[in-house]
Amino acid sequence: MGRAERMTMRLDLSTEARLEEARLTTRRHFLRHCSLGLGAVYLAGLGDPAWSASGPGAVDLTNPLIPRPPQFAPRAKRVIYLHMAGAPSQLEMFDYKPKLMELDGQRCPDSLLAGRKFAFIRGVPTMLGPQYEMKQYGQSGAWVSEVLPDFAKVVDDVCFVKSMYTGEINHAPAQLFVHTGAPRLGRPSLGSWVVYGLGSENQNLPGFIVLVSGGHAPDAGKSVFGSGFLPSVYQGVQCRSHGDPILYVTNPDGVSRDERRQALDTLNALNRKQLAEVGDPETLARIAQYELAFRMQVSVPDVMDIEKEPAYIHEMYGTEPGQESLANNCLLARRLVERGVRFVQLFDWGWDSHGASEKEALNSGFKRQCRVMNKAVSALITDLKQRGLLQDTLVVWGGEFGRTPMQENRGGVINKFVGRDHHPEAFTIFLAGGGIKPGISYGETDDLGYTIVRDPVHVHDLQATILDRLGFDHTKLTYDYLGRPFRLTDVEGKVVRSILA
Amino acid sequence: MSAVPRFSWASWSVRVGALGATAIALGGGLWLGTDLLRSGPDVEFSRDIKPILNENCTVCHGGVKQAADFSLLFPEEALKPSKSGKPPIVPGDPDESLLIRRVEHTDPSERMPLDHPALAPEQIELLRRWIEQGAKFQPHWAFVAPERPGVPEPEGKAWPEGKAWIETPIDRFVLARLEQKAIRPAPEQDRRKLLRRVSLDLTGLPPTESELAAFVADRSPRAYERQVSRLLASPRFGERWAAWWLDLARYADTKGYEKDMPREMWPYRDWVVRAFNANMSFDRFTIEQLAGDLLPDATDDHRIATGFHRLTMTNDEGGTDDEEFRTAAVIDRLNTTYEVWQAVTIGCAQCHNHPYDPIRQKDFYRSLAFFNNTADDDREDELPTLGIYESEADRAKGRPLEQRIRELTLQHEAMVEPERSTDAPRMLTGAAKREHDRLGKQVEALQKRLAPLRKAALPVMEEVHGAARRETHIFERGNWTSPGAVVTPGVPVSLPPLPKGAAANRLGFARWLVGPDNPLTARVIVNRLWDQLFDAGLVETVADLGSQGEAPTDTHLLDWLAVHFRDDLEWDVKRLLRVMVMSATYRQDNRPREDLADRDPRNRLLARGPRDRLSAEMVRDQALAVSELLSPKMFGPGVMPPQPAGVWRSPYNDLDWETSPGEDKYRRGLYTFWKRSAPYPSFVAFDGPSREFCVSERGTTNTPLQALVTLNDPVYLECATALAEQMQSWDVSAARRLARAFTRLTAREPKPDELALLVDYFEGAKTRFAAQPDQAQALAQGDAELAAYAATTSIMLNLDEVLTK
Repeated sequence: MGRAERMTMRLDLSTEARLEEARLTTRRHFLRHCSLGLGAVYLAGLGDPAWSASGPGAVDLTNPLIPRPPQFAPRAKRVIYLHMAGAPSQLEMFDYKPKLMELDGQRCPDSLLAGRKFAFIRGVPTMLGPQYEMKQYGQSGAWVSEVLPDFAKVVDDVCFVKSMYTGEINHAPAQLFVHTGAPRLGRPSLGSWVVYGLGSENQNLPGFIVLVSGGHAPDAGKSVFGSGFLPSVYQGVQCRSHGDPILYVTNPDGVSRDERRQALDTLNALNRKQLAEVGDPETLARIAQYELAFRMQVSVPDVMDIEKEPAYIHEMYGTEPGQESLANNCLLARRLVERGVRFVQLFDWGWDSHGASEKEALNSGFKRQCRVMNKAVSALITDLKQRGLLQDTLVVWGGEFGRTPMQENRGGVINKFVGRDHHPEAFTIFLAGGGIKPGISYGETDDLGYTIVRDPVHVHDLQATILDRLGFDHTKLTYDYLGRPFRLTDVEGKVVRSILA
Repeated sequence: MSAVPRFSWASWSVRVGALGATAIALGGGLWLGTDLLRSGPDVEFSRDIKPILNENCTVCHGGVKQAADFSLLFPEEALKPSKSGKPPIVPGDPDESLLIRRVEHTDPSERMPLDHPALAPEQIELLRRWIEQGAKFQPHWAFVAPERPGVPEPEGKAWPEGKAWIETPIDRFVLARLEQKAIRPAPEQDRRKLLRRVSLDLTGLPPTESELAAFVADRSPRAYERQVSRLLASPRFGERWAAWWLDLARYADTKGYEKDMPREMWPYRDWVVRAFNANMSFDRFTIEQLAGDLLPDATDDHRIATGFHRLTMTNDEGGTDDEEFRTAAVIDRLNTTYEVWQAVTIGCAQCHNHPYDPIRQKDFYRSLAFFNNTADDDREDELPTLGIYESEADRAKGRPLEQRIRELTLQHEAMVEPERSTDAPRMLTGAAKREHDRLGKQVEALQKRLAPLRKAALPVMEEVHGAARRETHIFERGNWTSPGAVVTPGVPVSLPPLPKGAAANRLGFARWLVGPDNPLTARVIVNRLWDQLFDAGLVETVADLGSQGEAPTDTHLLDWLAVHFRDDLEWDVKRLLRVMVMSATYRQDNRPREDLADRDPRNRLLARGPRDRLSAEMVRDQALAVSELLSPKMFGPGVMPPQPAGVWRSPYNDLDWETSPGEDKYRRGLYTFWKRSAPYPSFVAFDGPSREFCVSERGTTNTPLQALVTLNDPVYLECATALAEQMQSWDVSAARRLARAFTRLTAREPKPDELALLVDYFEGAKTRFAAQPDQAQALAQGDAELAAYAATTSIMLNLDEVLTK
């Protein structure tokens, strides 16, 4: 038995013994009935009464992340949400539009412009044909662009939704809409709703972890993974590629793990005396949180360290340990769900292909983004599948809106590089695993990829569908705030039954 | 309202008849008998009926939906005939009332509420009795002006010493209620613990060793009062209470949204600190922030105060429609104003009538109209701004420059304003283009001259006049792109009207908020202040005093405080806080009481003192204070204490956190630069909000990330080491040194077994650090003893007792 293992053993046994002692000291009935502080928050927030009897109503006051059953049998136990921040162009990736090729360079007909507002297009723009070849792949015959050669091999495992739409035309509000169900700040994010509903399966790691690549935070800032009015324990915890993976997870220089253990033993002993003297259950919760912090100091760096992965895995994902990249984050996502993390949220910045600069050009910067994503996301799906995780892990990929079939002419002048403007009326996402029908394409846009002609799916519908797969009726996962029950899907949302397995 | 049961012959006879039917339906006479015995007091709409309606009926028959043309929100709507042609409620006649028939129906397809469980027999009975008694609607309690209730005289029966316990009128209310329940209050808190709590509550800082010693030594009966006076007069008072107000004001040093660029809001923050320290009366505090610019002879200070509503977010994201985000800001101003001063969720009425409270959609837009005519327009340069200058001379030189820059900027922009028909910006050629370029250069040159003179450009409120004034429309379904009918400024119909002759503008509105007839403001504010001191408001939902909020735990105490604050104290905040902290109620021992664990686990009866975790700012400030690192410097731009690299990463914004030099590293948390999209991480861990919108309550969580902050954030390590260095200079034994540090942090002597634990750890650590010189080197330049003191101090900084007040 190695030293580290011995220490863990000792820790677990001694922690347990101490907590038990503390429980006895404070007398059982007192704790059972007391609902101070944290507990009060949960009691105030009960949603559906029928569910609360077995759901969050049974929240252990000292551990709000304890696993809880959903409302009905789930098809997915965890989620990996890959958000391509900036909104990737559906017309260069999956939505095949030969007709648009024919119109390339022609003046945009007035009918496409009348009554519409654009973020940057002014006056009359020209049509822009797809920049890449597309072919059909797999048994499902899914259309995939030439810039995504590896992804073409996993298409039979994914379900495309080509008829997504949103009400928001700017990045920050549109990202908030996708992740919190509302375009303004203040609502809990999808991940925090899920962890509020289900708790976490790994008590040594946060239940909702966020990984960011592309050099920037998402446009809407931390609110896209915030907890809004839910208790802040449910907010996403960002794990970083540089420095401490979680802020302050590393001991200060000069404080060894052994020394910290000794210090915590003394701290806990003093806190236990306080608990016996004062009898405040919050003290007991605090003792437990310090122990969890101590365990996280090992478990977080351990899960974040991808160097131990075999060479073929690095090859498959295109990872480079030590870098901040979508590839590394995809591999991390697999490592996290493997350890029972409930919700892993990725943000990859750099998909805003306006054509205002080389980085934003569809035939340049965009291609580089695709190259990384192609390999990493295909590897993630393959890897989850080969480990038997895909069946109960729901993978969602998408942006916050789509791109116009017109070439952007910022302020009325055609852009220097090839690019497209924001387009909320139609975009493509895909889902895989976790109770989603594989190898299908749902919804359809017109010949130009401009408007939806069949089976529109609103952002709230997607959210309702994700919650459904996790075992929740989206109208019943609620939290009382400012005098009324709130939910992720506001007053809308229909589960997209046709894509369910 | 009389508490004596009233007996009326008229209602008696009706009641027997009506109850007969119920009794038969239930198949037993026992029900009838017991209910008649219980039939004492009248049914009271707010207490007995409104909760049943809110819970079961208003979803379909309320503000949002009026199924079958029937709504229960306003009496005139509820009593008129519905779609069926019959009035659903016939006052005095439950059997003729369709409402009763439908809730009693046996056919599930007819029975209300549809597709939901039937009402309980007791609920139906209450509805029957209410209709029998005339179906009187009653406005929600908070919408009726508070009247000064009589102060109860506790009898002292159960507890003869009780009368001597009373310190302020608050205690009479509390004791009277406790007597009814035969509960005695808790004994007074240990003096030193009490001083620590009141110091943290009033100034946000723990007492110093000498303050503690002076208090312990002062045996006069007025010793505590003297401490309270000292704390209220301390400049630290304004900093602590500003931290509270700035959550409501959504104060931040950046604009929010995507780029989240900085802007210079700090002169407003300093105004708030000064206002609290100068004990500005709350009515003036209100008027200056909401409408200081409209006051006759408005001064710079008045205009600085209006920064309050310029703290709404500005969106610099490319391609955004300025009008969309101007509208969002104006709506936020309205929602924030109603949340802060009225605790009414008016935001519900943006899209439709309020579902539960009597606020119509039109009320929302009439109130919005007060705010819809300011000059700000989601501009990147944040115009209009007010230059802040160091000296009068700079100001005299700077002001004309500001004015000129603004005029030229607007001219410059007007030249390329898009044509309405094409939406494409005008392309300039020839002379026009040359003129445009010249103007641009001129603005740049003037800005260069202004920059060295001006300390800050604070965004302020400024009313627009004449042709520039905007009409306010009702937005269909709340959508700003679907403007409907035009409305004029006005207050909600359920609240008292603007006084005759009052201007229907922001100033008139602000004065109305703090006017004698407003039923909410004084209640809302005393409730918020109570919440700050007592861990929960008298109405627990401090942001919602509407019918969906919690009922007050003691309506009379709330109303007494409200009237006292408004009429006797004339909105004097310090005197109100004094009344609260001087009360015996506040001074009680704050340990949870085992004897009340079942009856009052959450201390709603106030039979013990309040107890809460320190706020994010207090956790930081306390650590700096006890280690004597805390800088007393007040005011000025936000500062940047050490923060890990890579926390700031907004798109299109390359600014980074630059750790402040010198004493600015050790300023109070209040002065920490607040970036909305990435707030200071140690505050976030302790429930500090992003301040993107108004926050009434932070909530108190208990998470492992908090432990990581106070154990590992270099700021806390530095505090521990600084205190350890002082300990080494104290000319006493190691045990005495540890005991003294413990007392600094907890305001009490450690017990022998506690001290033994600390000494054991310290001795062990000293030996371990001596054996591992590299670790002692990293932690304390090789001094094993210093390293051991620092490690022990770090333990003390993490004690539950230290993080709790």
